[in-house]
Formats: sequence, structure tokens, C-alpha cells
Amino acid sequence: MAGRTWIRTIVLALLVAAVSLALDMKLADILTDGSLRQLLMLTACNVLVAVSLNVINGMAGQFSIGHAGFIGLGAYTAAVVASQLHVKLGSHAPTLAASFIVVPIALLAAAVVAGAFGFLLGLPSLRLKGDYLAIVTLGFAEIFRLLIATATVGVQDTPAQAWSAVRGPGTFFHALGVSITALGGQNGYAGPGDQGVPLYAGPFWILTIVTLMVVLAWRIKFSGWGRALRALREDEIASAAVGVDPTRYKVTSFVLAAVGAGVAGGLLAMMRDGTPSVQPDTFNFQASFDAITMVILGGSGSVTGAMLGGVFVTLSIKAIEYGQGSSFVQDLRRHAEWLDLNALRMILYSALLIALMILRPEGLLGERELFQKKRGAKAS
Amino acid sequence: MTLALKNVRKSFGGLCAVSDVTFTVPERSIFGLIGPNGAGKTTVFNLITGVYPFDTGSITLGGKSLANLKSAAIAEAGIARTFQNIRLFSQLTVLENLLVACELQKRAHLLAALLRSPSHYEDESSMTKRAFEMLDVFSLRELAHAPSTSLSYGNQRRLEIARAMMLSPKVLLLDEPAAGMNYGEAEGLKTQVRWLRDTFNLTVVLVEHNMQVVMGVCEEIHVLDHGETIAHGSPEAIRSHPAVIGAYLGEDTEGGAA
Amino acid sequence: MKLIDALMTGLAQGGMIALVALGYTMVFGVLKMINFAHSEVFMMAAYVGLFVIAAVGGTAHPLLAAVGGTVVAMFACSLLGITIERIAYRPIRARTRGSKLARVTPLVTALAVSVLLQNLAQLLFTARYRPYPQLFQNTRPIIFVVAIAMMVFLELVVKKTWFGKAMRALSTNEEAARLMGVRTSRTIAMTFALGSSLAAVGAVLYCLDQSQAYPTMGFKIGTQAFVAAVLGGIGNIPGAMLGGLLIGIIGEMVKLTSYSGGVDVLVFVVLILVLLARPAGLLGTTRVEKV
Repeated sequence: MAGRTWIRTIVLALLVAAVSLALDMKLADILTDGSLRQLLMLTACNVLVAVSLNVINGMAGQFSIGHAGFIGLGAYTAAVVASQLHVKLGSHAPTLAASFIVVPIALLAAAVVAGAFGFLLGLPSLRLKGDYLAIVTLGFAEIFRLLIATATVGVQDTPAQAWSAVRGPGTFFHALGVSITALGGQNGYAGPGDQGVPLYAGPFWILTIVTLMVVLAWRIKFSGWGRALRALREDEIASAAVGVDPTRYKVTSFVLAAVGAGVAGGLLAMMRDGTPSVQPDTFNFQASFDAITMVILGGSGSVTGAMLGGVFVTLSIKAIEYGQGSSFVQDLRRHAEWLDLNALRMILYSALLIALMILRPEGLLGERELFQKKRGAKAS
Repeated sequence: MTLALKNVRKSFGGLCAVSDVTFTVPERSIFGLIGPNGAGKTTVFNLITGVYPFDTGSITLGGKSLANLKSAAIAEAGIARTFQNIRLFSQLTVLENLLVACELQKRAHLLAALLRSPSHYEDESSMTKRAFEMLDVFSLRELAHAPSTSLSYGNQRRLEIARAMMLSPKVLLLDEPAAGMNYGEAEGLKTQVRWLRDTFNLTVVLVEHNMQVVMGVCEEIHVLDHGETIAHGSPEAIRSHPAVIGAYLGEDTEGGAA
Repeated sequence: MKLIDALMTGLAQGGMIALVALGYTMVFGVLKMINFAHSEVFMMAAYVGLFVIAAVGGTAHPLLAAVGGTVVAMFACSLLGITIERIAYRPIRARTRGSKLARVTPLVTALAVSVLLQNLAQLLFTARYRPYPQLFQNTRPIIFVVAIAMMVFLELVVKKTWFGKAMRALSTNEEAARLMGVRTSRTIAMTFALGSSLAAVGAVLYCLDQSQAYPTMGFKIGTQAFVAAVLGGIGNIPGAMLGGLLIGIIGEMVKLTSYSGGVDVLVFVVLILVLLARPAGLLGTTRVEKV
């Protein structure tokens, strides 16, 4: 039976790859409107954001309100790596062939950096519970954002010079400061010499990688590992007494979630038809709150629920942006200065969340999945 | 393997919960740990299983120190336990409760689960098989897919023991297994404890208030009061030990009951 | 001299932060939840104060305007605090007691209320920065004196009144307090009212000094106040005062160095360090879970 499953997996994987490859080459013909193509890919990336946050907030029963920090780490890392590689490759216009060099390396870097910070942030989860841990994650995300936005160390130096001058802790921190400053501060990072971040990630990369990550999240949930996480969420002391080490499981969940967010951030930064720069304010608290909304609306702990949440939130954000820009709303705003559709959206979301918490705190699907086989059917 | 405590001491804030407790549980024995409420029995269990670290002294299993080991590592070393107020994973099914206790024995781990490698499937099916065998031992097979909260009190207690047994422990710590049981059930428990010891080559340590069970099944008994050892010996010796009688019935210091 | 000056400013800032921190700490004491919406109550108070001051005539009657603005803001925010508790927190308290979601649900709700209020302010008052009239020449000593007076008042309320006793009983053991005849709902509502009105005083003082009100102002000052509460030991009233003063002074000291832009980062760094090194805070105590 295991053998047949393998064949099925490989066939499905090839199918996904083929479809997304075809889309990669033909999407511009099918959807001539660039903003619609962008919307499609953005939705896919946000699905990954939601699915990864669900690993911590849904499955592991921890609560992170700083997911934007991981996304931002991934985005900046991928943007820097991709830009450097782009220069090394001769600064030609991004092609699909070249993307096979740039995207994997940039995403790997994004995953490693975000994962490393996920590890660091997972460590306090051993001692801190609930609210406290949430605050630490928020602190992390804000520190990340503020450091990049406000750093003004040695504006005239280049990072390369500063790093070669490192002689001790003092110069080390100086070099670190110079490097952070080189990320462009409040204006954002747009590659070396502000040439723009090369946008290598087309539908092929975005769809295959998001699909892969979603499948992995599903497998985590429906494995002994996911079961242990559920046990841990219920009773830490009893779990430890049967050999489920809370430390390992919690820290690993943080790392996995951070890796997912980092990859999502990397894809967002290099997304074809997207903006060729990365801004610190994209990763503010509102971004984290949007991610929380995605997970909670769909159902904490449900992979398909998180996906639905990701799609819904992304579409509504974009619909609002579109509406805000329309001439009708522009006319209205001339009479009513207060009409801020985004504020209205946030009010609706938060009211929806409050209502959900009161009426159905487990979210739309709870822990259930769409298309889930009846549990126990295979076991006995 | 023998479990040995030597001069173990633990205080919470200023309160000394366990002071200078020393005892050795012989291999394959059934050992009782008794004392009035608040004597520190459960605390001793928590110290053995690493729920809290102890302040001074030593706890060893088969000569190997358990100090500074985390709960999960102690479970891995071969000590399993149940809890005074049952701690099942209530949202999980009966079967799943047992499977969680298999995580340690899996050869393949997270990566295998992500890749769905053959070893992942082998693990899952062999663990499920073992879990069903264990359910048979405790006659819970019919309830395998029921949520564990739906079980009756007695079945929940048995499930908790079954879950502990899934670790294939060398030492089993039972915290008040007879709580809430009537005379007949308590008699059944006695047989079951002996049977577990004989079948699985276990050492069993019991914390228990039910004297019918303690005196009937334990081969050696250690008595605590206010965190201190007041007696140690065979059931017969404990039954007539003046300090034990004093502790249970109240000291004769104020001319009260004695 | 610069150092003395910064110290004075720090004390005034700290006193104001402490007033806001008290609201976090008191609510945490009785409900064991972080009321993220507290920072938005602070922001709303700033607007209420601004409107009242403008209505009274502003600089024409500085004392009347300041006192009037503060009192009305206190009253309005007490109502707001009670409403938040009533509409959002009470229903989930009843529902999630003892369930596995008991920890996450209040957190999400509080975050959502905070986001809601902030965006509501955006709609009602627009994102514009609104300047406060300059009522006094030198506001710092006034801020400090008022802050200290409020803390003394709070200490008296908590130690001497029936309500204070009920509140302390509730934060020690809710079940026992209920059985002993403490009216839980009323005490919780009053805690929110008291905490919110302290934040209102803080808000008006803050704006008289910093001279601006805007919808996202709650995040910055709310964070500092929250860090102050955690630093002192959340749930601990003297701890919040101590934490507030410390944060205020540290902030001003940092502004003397060449890293003046780093205050916001530093606040978060302090927060994380405290949580890692001593989660119970400076004056708090840790509890051991019963097994």
C-alpha cells in the first residue's frame, strides 16, 4: 500500500509542476491585467502565511502575534540574496531559466534566516505561556521592523567596508548597524544602487512551493507528530510524562512556522508583477493581525481552514484597495474626508473576530478539514 | 532496576514539602508510599518524574542519576506514571491517547512523517497494533475510537494505566489508583497490579489511601508525614507502628483522640 | 544640568506611563488577561480631552479647560472601559471558562477590540495629527504631581475601601471570592472603570505635554505602559508604578545618547529581557502549578 501511495504522490507532484509551469509561460496571455496576476500569486503567498501561522497558533496551541516579523525576515533575506545573484548573473532581465538558480538559493536563505529566528523565539515558549509568549513575538516583530526603519549608522560606509574593518565587538556592532542601514530604512530596499529587486518568482515557483508547503503542513497534522502536538496542547505535564518533550515539540513548531513564513516572505519579495522593493512597514502589526484573522476565521488547527482564511482575507484586502482607488469612492471622499475603506475593513474584521470569539471561538471549521476522510475508518 | 531516593529534599518558597526522604524500591517489588493528606507523597512522585527539580539529595534508577533530567527523559529512562486527578488528553480518542505514548519508541520521526517514508507507515501500523494489544489487556478495545472524556471514571483510570504501560516502563508509579473505587473494584485492582508486575516484569510504586489495597498488595511500605519519613517496613510492621497510628489518628499532644 | 533635566522629564514621563500601566495591571489582576484595548482607551481619552478643552475655550481658561477636559475624559473612558468589558470580554468569560481555548480566546478578543477602536478613531477623527493647545508654560511638574496624587488615591482605594478589598480578593482567588459574597461582575466592571479613568488622566497629561492626538498614538504609549507593568510584575500595583517610573527615566536617559531613535526598540528589548530573565517582574512572585 505504501508503494502505491508513493506513485500517486509522484504523479500528483508532476501534475502540479506541469500545470504551474504552463501557467508560468501562458498566464500573461490568459490574464492580461497585471494586477489580476499579482492578485493570484499574492493569494497563494498568503495561503502559505496562514498555513504556517496555523502550525503555531492552531496545532501547537501557542500564540504568536508577530508572524509579520518572520515574513519580513524572509522577504528581506530573499530580496538581498536575489539582488546579489542577479548582479552576478549579469543583470539581464529575469528569465525562467535563470530563476532556477536564483529562486531556490534565495528561498533557502530566507528559510534558514527565518528558521533560525524561529528557533530563538521558540526557546522562551518553554517558560512563557499564552499572553506572555504572544507579547514576546510581538516584541520581536516590532524590533525587526523598527531596527530596519530607523537604522542610521554610518550612512556613508558600505557594508563590505564595515565588515572588513571588524576588530572587536564595537566594530562588529558598527558593521551590523551599517548593514541594517544599507537595507534602505523607511524607504525600503530596492537592490544595490536602487536598481529594484529582481522579480524572479513567477506562477511556477509560487504555486509549486505553496502546494508543497501546504502538503507538508497537512502531513504534520496527520502524523504522530501532530498527534503529540495536540496532546501537548491539552496537557503539558501528562505529555512529558509519556515522553513527549514539550521543549522539542514547541521549538520545532516555531521553527517550522517561521520557515513557512520566511519562504512566503521570500516569494512575496521576488513575485513577478509585484513591486520591486521591500518596505519595513509592510510587516507591521496590522500584517500580523491579518495573519491571525486568516487562521482564526478558517478554524484554528485546520489546514484547509487556514487556506480558506488566507484566500478570503487577501481577496477582501485587494477588493478594498481597488474600491478605494475607484473614481466613485474618490468622489465620495471629496465630500466625506472620513471615508477610509481600509479602516472600515479593519473595523469589520475585528467586529467579526469578536463575534466569532463569543459565538464560535474555534473558528469556522474548528480543527476539522474540508475533504477529510472519516477518522478511524482505516485503523480498525 | 532499583529506584533509589537518598536524602531528597524539596521546599516551595519557605515551605519544606519533602525533607530528607530516603528509600530504595527493590526490583520487581510492589512498594507502597503512604501517609496522611499533605504528607508529600505526590510531591515525591513529581520529584521522581522530574515535574519539579529537587533541592538536594539524589534519585537514581539502576544506579543512574535522574537529577536534572526533564520529565520526557525520565519517561525514556523507564519510569511511567499516572496522576492523582486523572490527566488524559481529553480531546483525543482512547487509541490516540495510547499512540501519543509511542512517540519515544518510533524509529522514524518528523522528517519521515513529512516524506511519508516507508518507515513512517511501518511505525504507524506497528504502534497501532501494539496499542490495540494494550487495549485488550485493559479490555478497552471496543472504546478505541471514543473520545477519552466519554469514558466512565473507572475506565479513565484504566486508560491512564494503559497509556503509562505503552512506554514499556521498568518502574510504574501509580498515584491513588483506587480513589473512588468500591470494595469489589479495589479487590480487582489488587489482582491487576500483581498481574501487571508478573507479566511485564515491573516494579510498581503505589501512593494510596485505601488501606485494603495497600495492605493487601504491597510488599514493602514507606510512610511519610509532613514531608518526613516516619516508618518503613512490611505491611504487618507498619500496621502496628506507633508513629503511623499517631500520624493517621492524630498525635496525643493535646490529649485528643489517640 | 542636562542630566538633571532629563531626570525630571523622565520622572514626569514615567508618572504618566505608570498611570496607564496601572490599568493593565489591575485588569490582569482580576481577569488574568492582557487588555490590549487599554492603549486605545488612552487614545480615545486624548480626543475627548482635546474636544472638551476646545469647547471650554482652551487657552482662555487654562485651568478650567485642563480640569474639565480631564474629568470629562475620565468619565467618558470609564464608560468606554465598562462597555468593552460588557460587550466583548464578559461573554467570552462565561463561555470559555475551563475550555482549552480559555487562553487564546481572550487574547484574540482583546486584540480585536484594540484594532476596532483604533480604526474607529481613524474613521471618526481621521488620521490627522491634532495639536493640543499649549495650556501651561511648564507642564512637567504638574504631570508628576498629578500622577503621584493619582497613585496615592489609588493606593487608598485599593487598601481602604470595600471595592479595593473585593478587587484584591478576586485577583487572589476568583472562586473563593465569589463564595465569600464578592459580586464578581460589579467588581470587574469597577476595575475597568478605574483603570480606564487613570489612563484618561494619563492621556490628557501626555497630550498637554506632547501636544498631539492621533489614532495610532495608543500603540506607542500603550506598549511602554505595558512593558512598565510587566517590568514591575504584572498584577502588582506598586510594581506598575515602579515600572512606569523606570521606563520613563530610562527612555529620557537614552535620548541623551547618540541612539535617541532607539527608544522604541529599547522598550521591546527590555520587555523581552524581563520576560526571559524574570517573567514575574521586579515585584511579582511566581506560582507553582499543582499536579
